[in-house]
Amino acid sequence: MRVDGRDVVATPGISVAAALLAAGIVVLRRSPAGDTPRGAFCLMGVCQECTVLIEGRAERACMIAVRDGIAVSLRGPHAE
Amino acid sequence: MTNADRFDCAVIGAGVMGASVALPLARAGMRVALVDRGPICREASGVNAGTLTMQMTRAALIPYALKAWELWMDTPRWLGLSVGAEQRDGLSVAFTEAEVAILEARAAARRAAGAPITLVDGARAREIEPGLSERALRVGHCPVDGFASAYLTGRAFRVALEGAGVALREGVAVTGVERVRGGWQVRVADGEPLMATRVVLAGGVWLEDMAGWFGIRLPIKVLINQLAVTERMPPVMQSVLGIASGLLSLKQYPNGTVLIGGGWQGRGGRHDGRGDAFVPEALIGNIRLAAFVLPALRRARIVRAWLGLEAETADALPVLGPLPGVEDGWIIGSVHSGYTSGPFMGALLADAILGRPLALPLFPIDRLLAQKDAA
Amino acid sequence: MKVDLAVLGAGPAGANAALAAAGHGLSVAVIDENAAAGGQVWRAPAPSVTRDDADARDGAALREKLRISTVEHLDSATAWLIARDDAWRVDVARHGRSETVTADALVIATGAHERVMPFPGWTLPGVIGLAAATILLKANGVLPGQRTVVAGCGPLLSLVAASILKAGGTVAAVVDLASRAEWLGALPALAARPDLLARGALWRARIAAARVPVFHRHTVIRAEGTERLGAVRLGRVDAEGRLVPGAPEVAIAADALAIGHGLVPDTAATRLLRLRHRYDAASGWVAARDGTLAGSVARLWLAGEVGGIGGAAVAALQGRLAGLAAAQALGRSAAAAEAAQLQAGIARAGRAAAAMSWMMRPRPAMAGGITPETIVCRCEDVPRAAIEAAIAAGARDLNQVKQWTRCGMGPCQGRMCGEAAASLLAPHVGGRENVAPWTGRPPLRPVSADDLLGDFDYADIPIPAPAPP
Repeated sequence: MRVDGRDVVATPGISVAAALLAAGIVVLRRSPAGDTPRGAFCLMGVCQECTVLIEGRAERACMIAVRDGIAVSLRGPHAE
Repeated sequence: MTNADRFDCAVIGAGVMGASVALPLARAGMRVALVDRGPICREASGVNAGTLTMQMTRAALIPYALKAWELWMDTPRWLGLSVGAEQRDGLSVAFTEAEVAILEARAAARRAAGAPITLVDGARAREIEPGLSERALRVGHCPVDGFASAYLTGRAFRVALEGAGVALREGVAVTGVERVRGGWQVRVADGEPLMATRVVLAGGVWLEDMAGWFGIRLPIKVLINQLAVTERMPPVMQSVLGIASGLLSLKQYPNGTVLIGGGWQGRGGRHDGRGDAFVPEALIGNIRLAAFVLPALRRARIVRAWLGLEAETADALPVLGPLPGVEDGWIIGSVHSGYTSGPFMGALLADAILGRPLALPLFPIDRLLAQKDAA
Repeated sequence: MKVDLAVLGAGPAGANAALAAAGHGLSVAVIDENAAAGGQVWRAPAPSVTRDDADARDGAALREKLRISTVEHLDSATAWLIARDDAWRVDVARHGRSETVTADALVIATGAHERVMPFPGWTLPGVIGLAAATILLKANGVLPGQRTVVAGCGPLLSLVAASILKAGGTVAAVVDLASRAEWLGALPALAARPDLLARGALWRARIAAARVPVFHRHTVIRAEGTERLGAVRLGRVDAEGRLVPGAPEVAIAADALAIGHGLVPDTAATRLLRLRHRYDAASGWVAARDGTLAGSVARLWLAGEVGGIGGAAVAALQGRLAGLAAAQALGRSAAAAEAAQLQAGIARAGRAAAAMSWMMRPRPAMAGGITPETIVCRCEDVPRAAIEAAIAAGARDLNQVKQWTRCGMGPCQGRMCGEAAASLLAPHVGGRENVAPWTGRPPLRPVSADDLLGDFDYADIPIPAPAPP
């Protein structure tokens, strides 16, 4: 995976959220209202806490599978 | 105060109109009951787009809307709480020559009525709103514009009403009104009737049913407005955006959510609960229009959409005045852009009820009944 | 796409409904957000994960049946709007665009999600749900952390702790709201499911062998840390879930906390359709259905947890039953004998499920114990104090609480905070049964504007006639 331009080794086919956790990356975003750190929480697509920018789209990291070179940005789901 | 006591005035319908009548009456010393079958401001007054714009307000209403606009911007003073009102530049955009013609005609009429609207070209409009589409041909600009957070309306009014001693009866459905000695008996479902000297009908889209209690046939058309809101986003706009034909209202709240409205129609009616039948094509069309006007919206995620009922009379002008032939009976409903003008219209009707001089004329409903007879 | 039957959800209930209906000749589309069918319990493992437990086998068998069936499986698809005209209409965002599925009959099998009662620090990265932990472990082969505290209530506690140990991880503690006696009391109801009993015993043996400290009648007082979880603080509670005053607190260093307090039926779709709902002491507000699983409007069936928490086994049987009912309603001859058999099976499996559902219930005093500054609505960072202020200002239903505080207005659409907010309102209106759930609104999930819009020019926008001048 490419995470904010950095290479991160990940197992293909697991979720991006799981891969980030396995790589020790647990803080995925900050809450828009209170600006507090957030990480994956429900892992089943419900809570939206793991929403990050994946290949330029706001996506739940728990619902997208890792594939070779997939680009992930943790600068917020609406970052340019 | 119990229902057995006689109120000086019973206001039926606790939306912006009813609350805006009840409050000055109570402050003038009347004992007022404000009755609603649901919670305060939970229908149109709580779910509308909160637009405080002149460019979508009918020319005949501009003087009223200008006065109400001042009131909305100043609710902490007269209600005690903010409704999140913000002044913003208002832009009404034309993309086609046909829309330019509509824009010019409407801007001229509204300007004549007192709204400070000027027409600018696309380049100037993009200085005001950098995110605006490059396709804008001509744009109406009005500095008297802005928005409130409609969903805070009930909370703010409630504080003021209770402070003024209004007996707020939420969850009390009125089933009819009858003349009794020296006043009115207001019948309610599951409870003791209320006695009041005067009665004010303020039931929004349900005004047609309410007028029927008095044998008055007042046709009220029901609009089923679809609205949608995005999740919080970084700033993508700072103005209130519309299009010349009036079919868009777009604004970003300070919390980052972008509200997309404009009166695209769902299906249903006033007897279908909240008329929750969405027309998907209309929802998509509305969002397409929003994203055309403000391309940054393509990246947005829509988190919620809902329907708000809006009333409209045959001439799309308010009902505001006495109930014809009914002593101590009054009616209020702005019936188009009602939220924008509401606080002033309510105060105006309160002045009429109190026999005070009126700052602007009422909109008596006789014209609407006469039309029906002619038809 | 036009089909006889549309099914929302490809978990045990939805997939079985689709298979049963297709088996009786209906054309069927099943719509699900995940890349593979199976729902949560039977979730498909990633290719890198090798598993051979019962749930994995059941899930694999289900996916194989679907693969060779005539069922059209719309995977990775977000149903964002359901409407009813002459037929059902489901609008689906998939692969960057929106498409429409029309169907004569509809089965809603949207399952359940986890309930986590709020506590200070529960928004810290490193805190996850119990079901979330099972997904990490069983579908992804990833440990929640280096040292994990497993907390909450119900059978997932042992499952998660044992799975962490089996995967080579460390469980710092198991923190259970229930006492040992409550667990023993639940055993007789499980007699009909010796498979569950055996699995539970195996998990507990593994936990005991690893000498994991188990705290019964304890709860998490708070999760501590600044940018991420560093420690978990525990306290003793009574049977109602109330902290015992003066009891010593225990601090445990951990970088992960898996915590859950049962399951909540996902009724977003049934609320959107304004179906009749009812309050059930074990499952909360659920969509009402009759013995044939028919909902409160015609040509609609409700299978699985959306109508009451019952577990995967019950959901699978209900799915088949709903699929048969749909086939019959559309004029296919479905064997009445099979329906009767399914109903008997549901009743049998339901007893064990009810016992587990009871063990998973949040305890009655938990909501009252939420501290004023604790965030209740994660999306909008709304603390309990703001909700109490709205109630004090006169809010008497959940929609008003939402309007006045923004609790439930964020992208999870009230799924994470709804239970806690309702529990906070309950004492002011005479109980949970008087707190109707939020009014259902589309989209059923946040949906990207890009997916809805497609390529278009101004002339392609069907702008209605102008408003009055």
